[in-house]
Amino acid sequence: MATAETAVSLSDVRKTYRIGEPVHALDGVSLEVPEGSYTAIMGPSGSGKSTLMNLVGCLDTPTEGEVVVGGRAVDTLDDRERTRLRGTEVGFVFQTFNLMPRLNAVENVALPQLFQGIDRTERRERARDLLERVGLADRGDHLPNELSGGQRQRVALARALVNDPAIVLADEPSGNLDTDTEAEILDLFDEFHDAGTTMIVVTHERHVAERADRIVHLLDGRIERIEELEGDGAVEPASRTGSSEPTEADSE
Amino acid sequence: MNPLESLRLAWRSIRGHKLRSALTTLGIVIGIAAVIAFVTLGASLQAGIIGDISPDDQRNVYGWAADPDTEGGPLAGAQPVFTDDDLAAVGDLDEVEAAYGYATIQTQAISNGEETVAQGNGLIASGPSYIREERLAEGRQFRQGEREAVLNPAAANQFEENVTVGDELTVTILGGERRTVEVVGITDTSEGQSPFEGFESSPRVYVPTDPYYTEQASGLGAGGGDDGGDNESAGESGEARFLAIIVEAPSDDEADIDAARESATDYLESDRSDASEFLGDDLAVTFRTSTELLQQLQDVLDLLRNFIVGIAAISLLVGSIGIANIMLVSVTERTREIGIMKAVGAQNRDVLGLFLTEAVILGVIGAILGTGLGLIGGYVGAEYVDLPLVYPLEYVALAIVVGILVGVLAGLYPAWRAARTDPIDALRYE
Ligand SMILES: Nc1ncnc2c1ncn2[C@@H]1O[C@H](COP(=O)(O)OP(=O)(O)OP(=O)(O)O)[C@@H](O)[C@H]1O
Ligand SMILES: [Mg+2]
Repeated sequence: MATAETAVSLSDVRKTYRIGEPVHALDGVSLEVPEGSYTAIMGPSGSGKSTLMNLVGCLDTPTEGEVVVGGRAVDTLDDRERTRLRGTEVGFVFQTFNLMPRLNAVENVALPQLFQGIDRTERRERARDLLERVGLADRGDHLPNELSGGQRQRVALARALVNDPAIVLADEPSGNLDTDTEAEILDLFDEFHDAGTTMIVVTHERHVAERADRIVHLLDGRIERIEELEGDGAVEPASRTGSSEPTEADSE
Repeated sequence: MNPLESLRLAWRSIRGHKLRSALTTLGIVIGIAAVIAFVTLGASLQAGIIGDISPDDQRNVYGWAADPDTEGGPLAGAQPVFTDDDLAAVGDLDEVEAAYGYATIQTQAISNGEETVAQGNGLIASGPSYIREERLAEGRQFRQGEREAVLNPAAANQFEENVTVGDELTVTILGGERRTVEVVGITDTSEGQSPFEGFESSPRVYVPTDPYYTEQASGLGAGGGDDGGDNESAGESGEARFLAIIVEAPSDDEADIDAARESATDYLESDRSDASEFLGDDLAVTFRTSTELLQQLQDVLDLLRNFIVGIAAISLLVGSIGIANIMLVSVTERTREIGIMKAVGAQNRDVLGLFLTEAVILGVIGAILGTGLGLIGGYVGAEYVDLPLVYPLEYVALAIVVGILVGVLAGLYPAWRAARTDPIDALRYE
């Protein structure tokens, strides 16, 4: 993991909104996110967390500075290329799920692949696989309004993963969920992280952030400090050691 | 995204708003239905009319004298100027096969024995060959100078007991005088035999100009007994002048027809004719074939059709605005969905295609329903006026094309708006 390349790199990024008095949503942010890392972003409301996520997710371009995602400078791309990068390189999980209300779970999960021109049967197969992975194998035909909040978030998660993105971005993914469901979602994040996906998660909650390798604290559009957490399993040392023991046993 | 996928998604959102979509397409339905119905009717009308001109009629030229500036169909502004002598002289011309007068004698009623039926159509007086041989279902042509008549089926069947060849009828002409006629033939159709009559089906009684018209025009009254067979005495006895003249060319060859028409015109406009005393600056002789007369009718039909198409075009325009309006509402309503799609990798053209497809589906559904409705309308109309049904299939294809076009035009701006939606703004949209 130490030799990992950079998945996302921001150098002196500024995002300024000019509605009357200019608002510096981001005011000179530089950050390197290594491939396969797990980063949590914390900060008070209005500190620029969502703005940062939108930039990394190729939904937006910075006013100044450079954002590099998957080796490509986002602001040099035209709208089409940026859309393609967004569709293939990153998976977005939103606080409000953002599922298509008239599409069922399978179709929602398959939606990003529709725009990649992938064949219908292949799409559905992949979507069902992913739904199974997030524990919703039996809910494929349900519409979003027939699912619980946690189930919806898991559908959204499956959708974020459908194109095998290198980076998964989650903007307050558990904000609307109770503790049990939240834990389920976070466990899934750990699973993806273990599988090598770069995770960036925005959260207000310390215990959510503690699942990450490090916590980036934002304040007024600047990085206040970066808190490195011990190992990447601070919250679940038991499972880590549990999984490493047999390995040692095997090698012996 | 492939078009089939767009179609599937678009269809789904249309189905999500059934009533709204149905109302939206209504404008298109009405517009297209109007065009198709009237075009079908027009085509059927045309087939009904053109289909009735037999080759024998094709060699006829129909003439009348009217103010040269008069506009209109057959007999418009016609004045009675042709005498029997004129007819005979024209008939003797080398280029002319036969010539006879044409007139209608106004009537009140016809009796078959005890039974009397009202008859306002009048007697149609002309020459024997006016009823062409092949048009006779029974009997023979009437003879000039005889008190004979040929009836069409509508006239023969209007009595309790159908009239057959050999029956004697009594005709009460306007003014109350009575004439007897012997039925010598029945035609095979109730439609008109020439453009002078019009082409619609109605009861008609065909008689020779002599004696019926001559005695009528010369004011001889009821006195004309059965001895009216003498052609010359009838000609001398009065100044019977005909409104119309029918000239038969030797063949339906265009050159023959033109030759007949020219020599007849030349003769009638020369000093040798009786008609010439009325002709001159005020009146001129017009000769037309049925095809030419039909062309006039056709022009009127075309004008009418263009008018309807114009109205339909307005309806289509209104329909397009309806679609555009609904699409705009739909785009606003689905801003968040658009944002989601773009956030997960939908290109601008995917979104554009999706909304455009939706508009096109609405347009095409409208066109298909409109076409169906229009064909039914045309069918009912053609049934009602008893015309052979002709479906102008090229218009059906055209209607679908128009539907697509309307959809594209109406959908373009809303779809463009949707495509340009900024995903971040859209996702924030409540
Ligand atoms: N489209 C916009 N127009 C104007 N100002 C904006 C816009 N988007 C964000 N901002 C401003 O930028 C700043 C940062 O917003 P951002 O959404 O990134 O905050 P956040 O850290 O995600 O807050 P929260 O925790 O409440 O979600 C805020 O002050 C906000 O008002
Ligand atoms: Mg936020």
